[in-house]
Amino acid sequence: MKRLIELCVNDETYELAVEPNAILAEVLRDQIGLTGTKVSCGTGECGTCTVLMDGRPILSCLALAVDCQKQSIITIEGLAVGEKLTTVQQAFHDCGAIQCGFCTPGMVLSTTALLEVNSRPSTREIQKALEGHLCRCTGYNKIIEAVQQAAEQMPPKAK
Amino acid sequence: MHLPKFEHLYPPSIKEAARLLKKHGSNARLAAGGTDLFPRMMHGLTQPEVVVSLKGLSIDSADSSGVTEGSELHLNALMPLADVARLAAVRQSAPLLAEAIVSVGSNQIRHMGTLGGNICLANRCAYYNQSHTFQFVEPCFKRHGNRCYLIPKGKKCVAVFQADTVPALICLDAKVEIIAADSSRQLLLEKLYTGDALKPLALSQDEIVGKVIVSKPKPVRGTAFSKFSLRGGVEFAALTVAVCLDMVDKGENCAAARITVGSVAAGPVRARKAEKTMAGEMLSDKLFKEIAAIVAGEIHPVMHHGYSIPFLKECLIAQTYRTLVRAAERAG
Repeated sequence: MKRLIELCVNDETYELAVEPNAILAEVLRDQIGLTGTKVSCGTGECGTCTVLMDGRPILSCLALAVDCQKQSIITIEGLAVGEKLTTVQQAFHDCGAIQCGFCTPGMVLSTTALLEVNSRPSTREIQKALEGHLCRCTGYNKIIEAVQQAAEQMPPKAK
Repeated sequence: MHLPKFEHLYPPSIKEAARLLKKHGSNARLAAGGTDLFPRMMHGLTQPEVVVSLKGLSIDSADSSGVTEGSELHLNALMPLADVARLAAVRQSAPLLAEAIVSVGSNQIRHMGTLGGNICLANRCAYYNQSHTFQFVEPCFKRHGNRCYLIPKGKKCVAVFQADTVPALICLDAKVEIIAADSSRQLLLEKLYTGDALKPLALSQDEIVGKVIVSKPKPVRGTAFSKFSLRGGVEFAALTVAVCLDMVDKGENCAAARITVGSVAAGPVRARKAEKTMAGEMLSDKLFKEIAAIVAGEIHPVMHHGYSIPFLKECLIAQTYRTLVRAAERAG
C-alpha cells in the first residue's frame, strides 16, 4: 500500500505517495523529475546516485523513500543558482574533470560534503571521500585536481 | 535495481522491534542502514515479507550523542559508522576501531551503514552473492541444497565473514548488549560468532545488537589494523588483521597481545598461539617475523573471492608482520 511522505528536496517540499519498496533514486527521478541523479549499478557500488541527506553523502539507490520522511535532500540540481555555478562545479569545469559526465553529479555532491567538513583536505582524504565513485573516463587525476582547486577557491566560512 | 515488495514496519522502540521480529519469525528481516540487506534483496537472496526498520530509533532516549563514557565506552549500535569514527571518545580510547571503520565500504556506505549492522553483516561468497533469478542449477548449501560451487567436493558452506570492524573490536575486548523482546543480555563479541557459515551469529530471531561496549585502554597500548584487498576501496577484504599490544616496562616489553584475523573463515579468528608466544617478550623485528609465521601456521584461511589458499597464507604473513610493526611503533 502506498504511503504519503513529505520530502524536502533542494529546499522545496514535496508531498508524495510512494510504495514501501520505492527507492529514493526512483522517486527523485520518476516522481519529482530530477534526473540529474543518475542510477547505474543500483546496488550501492558505483556512487552515481549519491545525494546529500542532511549534508551527508548517501546512496539514493539503497535508501528507501519512506525512510527519508521529512529529511532534507540536496541533489545536483540544488547546487547552482540560476546560471551561476558553485565553486566546486566551476572547479570541475575548469579542470576538465568531466568527460561523459555520468559520475559527475555524485562526485560534485561528495566533494561539496567533504569541503563542508574539511576545507583543506589532503590528497589521501580526497581519495577516501571519493572512493565510492567510479569514473570510467577521466582516470581520477583531474577530479582530484578539481577538488584541490575548489578547496583553494572556496570562500572562507563565516565564523 | 528493483526491490521486491514487502511490508515496512517502524517500531517506536528497540524492544518493540524485537517483539515484531518474534511475531513475524523467519518472514521478517531487520534493516538499520540497509546497505547489506537491500542489495541482497535486490539479488533475490533473501525475500522477507516484513522489513522492520530501525531508522530514527535510539537505544536510550537520554543519550542523544550515542556514546556514554565511564570506565567503559558505550556505543549506540545504531550510529552510522562515519559518526562512530568521528567521535572524540572513540579516537582517543579506541583508535583501532576508528582505523577499521575508515576501511569499510565507501564514504557513502559509512554514512548509511551502522556499527551494529557491520557486526551482524551476512557471510558472503563469490557464488552465492549474485543474482540467482535466472539460474536453474542445483542449490548450494546456503540455498538449502547440498553442494558447494566453489569447492566442488566441499562438505559444508564456506561463505566468509568480511566485516572490517569486528577483528578490531575483538582486539579491544568489546562486548555487545543484545536486546530481545523481554530481556537483554551482554555477550563477549567474540562469542557472537559461531563459525558456522549457515548460521554465523549466535542470535535468536528476536534478538538485536543494541550497544557495543569497549573498555578503556591500558596506559601503554599500541594498536594497528590493516585490510588487504585488490582495489583498496569499495571492496570486501581478502583478509584483515587487527593487533593490540599492551606494554609494560616503559613500553619495551609486551604484557599481552591480541591478534585477530578477519575475512578468512565463517567468523573472525583469534591467533591464540601467537598471542601466547608474544606475551612477556621484548619487541623486536625478529619477534614480529616469528609471530607472523606462527599466525600463518595456526590460521587456515578458506579460499574465497578468487583468492587461493597459498596466496592468502603469504598475504597473512606479510600483513601480520606489517601490522605488528605499526602497532609497536604506536606503543613506543
